[in-house]
Amino acid sequence: MRLTPLALLLAAACGPPSTITPAADVPLREIARSQEDTTTKQDLRLVPPEVYIRSYLQLFGGLAPQEVQTRARGADGGQLFDAWDDYLAALGLPDYKLDLPRAQQTNAIMVAAFERLAVALCDRAVERDLKANPPLPLSERVVFAFEAPNKLDDAGFASRFDVLHRTFLGYPAALAPGRIKDFHGLYSSIVAHHATASKKSRFSPTEAGWAAVCYGLARHPEFHLY
Amino acid sequence: MGAMLLVAAVAAGDSRQTRTLADYRDFRSLSIDLAGRFPTRDEIATLERPDFDRSTWIDAHLSGPQYAARLTRIYMDLLRLEVGNAVQVTPPATTLRRIQLVGPDKKALYVYYRRGQRRTREATDGEFCMTSVETGLELTFGQPPKGTPIEVKKEVLDANTVVVRPWWLYRDYVEMTPTKRYGAEWTDFDASYVPSDKLRKEADGSPTIEVRVCREEAQVRDMGTIYVTGRVPPLKGATPLPPRLRPLPLDDGYAKTHKGEPLSCRDGLAVSMSVDCGCGIGLQYCMPGDSDANDPGGFMLPTHSPVGLDAALPLAEQNVSTWYKYWWTQELEHFLSHLFTEDRDFRELLTAKYSWVNGPLAQYYRSTAPAGCCGRERAFGLIEDKEPLFAQASVPPSLFAHDAATWLSVPDRGPQASGILSMPVFLGKYASRRARAAVVYNAFLCKSFVASDAELLPSTEPNLMIRPGCSSCHATLEPLAAYFSRVEESTSVYLPGAQFPIKNPLCKLQKNGKPSGFCDAFYDPAFTDGAAGTMRGAYASPTNAEAGMLGLAHVVTTSPEFASCAVSRVTSSLIGRTLSQDDDTLVHALTDVFVHGNYRMKPLVTAILRSDAYRNVNNRRVDANATVEVPGAPPHDAIHGGGP
Repeated sequence: MRLTPLALLLAAACGPPSTITPAADVPLREIARSQEDTTTKQDLRLVPPEVYIRSYLQLFGGLAPQEVQTRARGADGGQLFDAWDDYLAALGLPDYKLDLPRAQQTNAIMVAAFERLAVALCDRAVERDLKANPPLPLSERVVFAFEAPNKLDDAGFASRFDVLHRTFLGYPAALAPGRIKDFHGLYSSIVAHHATASKKSRFSPTEAGWAAVCYGLARHPEFHLY
Repeated sequence: MGAMLLVAAVAAGDSRQTRTLADYRDFRSLSIDLAGRFPTRDEIATLERPDFDRSTWIDAHLSGPQYAARLTRIYMDLLRLEVGNAVQVTPPATTLRRIQLVGPDKKALYVYYRRGQRRTREATDGEFCMTSVETGLELTFGQPPKGTPIEVKKEVLDANTVVVRPWWLYRDYVEMTPTKRYGAEWTDFDASYVPSDKLRKEADGSPTIEVRVCREEAQVRDMGTIYVTGRVPPLKGATPLPPRLRPLPLDDGYAKTHKGEPLSCRDGLAVSMSVDCGCGIGLQYCMPGDSDANDPGGFMLPTHSPVGLDAALPLAEQNVSTWYKYWWTQELEHFLSHLFTEDRDFRELLTAKYSWVNGPLAQYYRSTAPAGCCGRERAFGLIEDKEPLFAQASVPPSLFAHDAATWLSVPDRGPQASGILSMPVFLGKYASRRARAAVVYNAFLCKSFVASDAELLPSTEPNLMIRPGCSSCHATLEPLAAYFSRVEESTSVYLPGAQFPIKNPLCKLQKNGKPSGFCDAFYDPAFTDGAAGTMRGAYASPTNAEAGMLGLAHVVTTSPEFASCAVSRVTSSLIGRTLSQDDDTLVHALTDVFVHGNYRMKPLVTAILRSDAYRNVNNRRVDANATVEVPGAPPHDAIHGGGP
């Protein structure tokens, strides 16, 4: 029994060599036919980072980048914002000095940067527009340009959500089927959870609810594509 | 109560037009492309008004800075015209570096100097103006000083240095006694002119009132004389006489034959051939550095300005080279902005004589650019930049180096000017003749060099237009590259025909079968024979070499591909995808518009924005025909408060 593998190996080694010989080309057998779609393929475009940054500055009240950086960072230790230089490459800006091209598609780091910038924008906007004491006149509110009562019915939410929807996505919320309902659900859920949360927040339940709606819109794919 | 207000507002009259989702998306696209940002709520309300007219809105936004920025971005993405760290702009003649010493009062003391400065004092000729014995420091260029600094005696300091109120600290540095110091009496400085703290403060943190500079560097005359010492070369292997670390500078052949002749102090040669040339009044012809490094720090600049200079990102300290290179790019951006906002003939991108400069650029063109000439060139009799790409006389005399925010039009840069092709940012970014030719070929004719699959055999054939495997690209590339033959690759010095003929008998093969050594930098030994040497880069087409960059601009802008290429670039960018054969009809129609509109961008962009291709591009994933009966919503201002 112990010799069997060796015998097999020797037998194989002494056998005729395995060779591959040329053969005539034979067309593959046709199994089906389908039409090739040669029309131009096209998808939504990524908003240029320059446009994103300029719009971001505008949503911060038309401030200069340095001022936005200072205000977004704040003095509360919230670490909501680092520095513009930390975000430029992540947002897809080209670096002509290094011959790095403009990013044409999103990637994980870019989406993470969008998320971080959205949270900074929305939280500071809640502080500015909704938490200010004395209250800021409606005419001076940039993002939350409405009163934010604690109790809202469907119509009350829809009209306020429409303000944010126009601000971030550029069209009335009613044109996006189901979106008002979805966001109302999100808002209500955040308000309810916030009211019963054991950990204290610097935002009231209503403020937290509107902040979450703002996050949702500022991170929405439609905000970053066109 | 707020809710009641809203409800009341909702019930108010609705004068808005019914708009489809496609309308809103189209308006958002237009805003992104022409206003450079998302539309505000107020602007969306404008769309919803019955009298909103898309064409009128487009026309109104085709003159704004964001429209120009949008088109500029297309060509900046293509050409990437920012110069990286590999390129240093620190000519010895115009770069003031500084050494930290210990002064007679035992306090730290900065002294500014130029590398290679000629001095009558033998111990310091071509070196820092005080010896290692006097300072305790051994200075090796490009390395930190070695040794332990000792107290410099007052008489040594006074004998070799002077104090100056320099241009970078004083607005009125040209006065006998400048008094308007940056940040003190001078407060209305341009926001983008920010000397670093290191230039504005002494080592102990106190504000700098005056700077101490080596005596020769502080000289103010415009003309000097060629300095000759009559020194003989040291014996082979001999060590420099202490306290010198390097051998004494010797007289070169040119100096010997032109001893005592006048020399412009703005020439790059002045620092190394004259002892009576300095940096001018208030050191205005030199850039200060905050150390002895090869590329020392100097001024503060934004690391990026993606949304324009008026909204620049936070500043950071930059080195001397970056200061120049930053303003090179800004010159281009001003040029492009003018081209697009004024709707100039797009061919001027390559042919224009005009440009725009500010204070830092004026200083660059007055002193630093000419300082690139003339080391190796003097063997051919060129001792000053005789035909600079930016003529000295064209530099606006009213601009001070610190006028960073003042931009003046220069109608004619000089006979060699040719749109962006002769700008330092282009020549610095694309440093070789072939790189310059290739990028023009690609960017403006939409053609690429693609190697054939020919077998690459060993070859000694120097003519790449016929060498197997190379010819498929180089047969086209070499004649294009020849247009740049007269622009020196490293310095952008223009090589005039009088001193540098395309075929130069001075550089013919000698009896040993080689041309003279000084020829090698400018004449290609591979294309030299017993009668003459051929200028580098010109072998493929002496005619193109003589025609220069203007010749290339003419050939490119009159080629049949130029217009369709520009149209394709702009169309592709605005509709956000690569064009295919399916778009040929559109491109042909738009090219007609472009050409019949005298190569102006506004008619072209208007036609693109009105095309179905543009209007449909952002409605791929949604029911674009959905409409909203403006949902009984209130007049915009009633609830939105007119926010931005």
